[in-house]
Amino acid sequence: MAGGMSRLFRGETTINFYGRRNVGFIASALLLVVTVGSLFSQGLNLGIDFKGGVAFEVPVAGTMSEAKAKEILVANKIKTDNVKIQTLTSGTTKRVRIQLGDLPVTTRTTIQESLAKSANATVNDVSVSTVSSTWGRNITTKAIKALLIFFLIVSLFIAWRFEWRMALSAIIAMVHDVGISVGVYSVFKLEVTPATVVAFLTILGFSLYDTIVVFDKVHDNNERFSGSKVSYGDIVNVSMNEVLMRSLNTSIAALLPVLSLLVLGSGVFGAIALREFALALLVGLATGAYSSIYIASPLLGILKERSDQHRPMRGHLSIGVDMAHLMHTGAPVGRRAAARAATDASQGIIPAPVAVEALLSHPPRPRKKSRR
Amino acid sequence: MTRRLVLSLVAIVLLAGGTFTANLVAGNHPSLGLDLQGGASVTMTPVGEVDPAALSVAVDIIRQRVDSIGVAEPEIIRQGNTVVVNLPGVKDQQQALDTIGRTGAVEMRPVLKVAENPDNTTTTTVVGGTTTTVKGATTTTVKGATTTQKPASTTLPPPAGGVGSSRIAAVTTTTIPATTAPVDPLTGLPEGQTVLPGRKDGLLYLLGPAEATGEVFSNDSSAQVDAGGWVVVAKLRSGAGGADLWNALSTKCYAGGADCPTKAIAIILDGEVISAPTVQTPTFDNGSVQISGSFSQTEAKDLARVLQFGAVPVKFDTPTVQTVSASLGKDSLHAAVLSGLIGVLLVLLFLLFYYRLLAIVVVGGLSVSGLLLWSVISWLSKTNGLALTLSGAAGIIVSIGVTVDSYVVFFEKLKDDVQQGRTLRNSAARGFERAWRTILAADTVSLIGAVVLWWLTVGSVRGFAFFLGLSTMADMIVSYFFTRPAVLLLAKTKLFNRGRVLGVAKAKISEAVA
Repeated sequence: MAGGMSRLFRGETTINFYGRRNVGFIASALLLVVTVGSLFSQGLNLGIDFKGGVAFEVPVAGTMSEAKAKEILVANKIKTDNVKIQTLTSGTTKRVRIQLGDLPVTTRTTIQESLAKSANATVNDVSVSTVSSTWGRNITTKAIKALLIFFLIVSLFIAWRFEWRMALSAIIAMVHDVGISVGVYSVFKLEVTPATVVAFLTILGFSLYDTIVVFDKVHDNNERFSGSKVSYGDIVNVSMNEVLMRSLNTSIAALLPVLSLLVLGSGVFGAIALREFALALLVGLATGAYSSIYIASPLLGILKERSDQHRPMRGHLSIGVDMAHLMHTGAPVGRRAAARAATDASQGIIPAPVAVEALLSHPPRPRKKSRR
Repeated sequence: MTRRLVLSLVAIVLLAGGTFTANLVAGNHPSLGLDLQGGASVTMTPVGEVDPAALSVAVDIIRQRVDSIGVAEPEIIRQGNTVVVNLPGVKDQQQALDTIGRTGAVEMRPVLKVAENPDNTTTTTVVGGTTTTVKGATTTTVKGATTTQKPASTTLPPPAGGVGSSRIAAVTTTTIPATTAPVDPLTGLPEGQTVLPGRKDGLLYLLGPAEATGEVFSNDSSAQVDAGGWVVVAKLRSGAGGADLWNALSTKCYAGGADCPTKAIAIILDGEVISAPTVQTPTFDNGSVQISGSFSQTEAKDLARVLQFGAVPVKFDTPTVQTVSASLGKDSLHAAVLSGLIGVLLVLLFLLFYYRLLAIVVVGGLSVSGLLLWSVISWLSKTNGLALTLSGAAGIIVSIGVTVDSYVVFFEKLKDDVQQGRTLRNSAARGFERAWRTILAADTVSLIGAVVLWWLTVGSVRGFAFFLGLSTMADMIVSYFFTRPAVLLLAKTKLFNRGRVLGVAKAKISEAVA
């Protein structure tokens, strides 16, 4: 069991995330370009809750029913995924209400006629009215304002709890996640519903949460390595490898229910309404986990490497065995360390031979006899 | 130490179980949203021509009333000029009407008399002794004398002098059946007078006729801190419909004559006296009115909002109610719940595979937080009209996956320590301490997000923020009061210190470096 999986399981990977940061940056930049391009060329497919649309009301008579109404819509080549069909009851009279997005006038008339026909009624008995959005403009305005204030307060909190560079990186990563999720919606022309917005907000929260957990590790390691000459890139690398398992586990735990909703809920059980919600979450959660490691942390590394404290070691990375050494002992190896050892030797300081055991692990405290 | 851990564990389990049972006994259960079980649909048609801006304020008022804490998820649609409010889970039509109430028509009436509100006494006995005559006619002549001649009718005469006068006209046409009838036959009160309860103070107010509406103020009343207390500042509109009207009323009340002996002006919304401030100066020349009193912050904000609402009212015809069926139906819910549960089961299997026996703690923790959330949701369903939509239900299922993170963070720290050669018993307390800091930092950020979004938004975003906050709090509570004692106690048992409980043993050096 000495393969890659096993090392991953024990948190012994030595992947050079920071050194390969450009891979993530380029990939994300491409995706964001696609997003912006798509937003400009085709925009977002806003659902009836945002745009409003048309509402038909038909008395229930003849062959009229909710299922029949759906049939008529399908016959007119209208996607029924997000159409709301409801029965209104008032006393003994029943009416079917059909709400859907905007329609060309001809289609509207055709549908009106078909509905009237199946309800054995005249065209005038089928009322057609335009409906406003349930999600009005002022809800959007308020939400955006709230979001900006949220960004501000969260930045201040992170800056206070950790430092401002972390705040900046976290916010950029969060914007990146939402950007890519929106891009997926735009490129594939998925319909945006209020549930989608809620899903995007969930993504935001998850992305931020994930980033904080990763940064907490970086913060710890920064303190741990504060005494030794280690570049910030190394600190980021060590931290990434240490939290890698946790990040993977959390992502798997978060993705499993979403996948289940997507595959079982909307696929096998046929609850179509779940599909787009689950899809938004799936994309977002995956992006959130990715961005904490490939966007937020490298960004932090770049920012920190330019700070006074870390500038001298900038660009120096311990990779492979050196990184493992660094992770386990908290002391760097490599040319500089070797050079230092050489200076020590020339001055007559001979380091005592150290057992590999002692180097590699923090010795356990001897077990005390159990107290009762 | 052990005793305290056991105590904490027992307490949290009892709390979760207790609230769950209490809700079960009380018959509270989560109610379902419009998409899943339908509800009542109320159609409200405004009377006469309506300013679109005023209509959207009316929609805001309705939303506020229907969905005060943001979890009811009603659908509020403007269909042309009519407003359709779909209330989830409401089967009783009268209940639907009561929930929506009337619109925020704010009136100002002089206070004639104030009395305790005795629970069993009818209102007529309270006011029987008063002999005050009211010059109701004077107020109606002030604005739009043409309209007072008409008896109550559903059609509104065209506004004679701007929005303000039309609103007053609407009030007077409905309350004055004939021009000279001095006594209302129903209540036995002199014409125009009425008795209304205070909203919170338990008093009954005998009030003169409405002499002004909320429209005397502009739409930017605010609650402010002044000299250490909360006050409400409202700006008067200038001109006949605003400052003049208000000053006429305040001058009269300041004088304390027979038609305003208490010197107080009652501010009324939906038949309740919100506040009855005493007038301190006869006229308000700088166009600004400050209402002070021993307000709490909420009371002040409430009053400010009432005044904002009153500034642009819309009068609606008698609403019609219909029941509306579910747009998705129970099948979707069953699909969501079933696939969600399978998802959670998969998560647990994964954790069991990965963390072996420690996964028991996750099962316990998720059960405790599940019970707590269920209780809160059931209770809010009963008290605040909370209704779970399909996406809401799916969101809660998804949040379980995210909640698992706290355990993962904690267990990974434990694993690190065990790998370095510590015993589980030795590393449990230390590991939790470190994990708790991480959990606290990450959860604080989530909480900030929840509070900001809840505070500043409406509609489904507000509902989202509410549930985010709720599940984050549950996560923190369960982490500290359940997971910590559970793991610390388990770590002391022999079972958990034998062999590779976490799936790891002390690292072999050769592997670590290779």
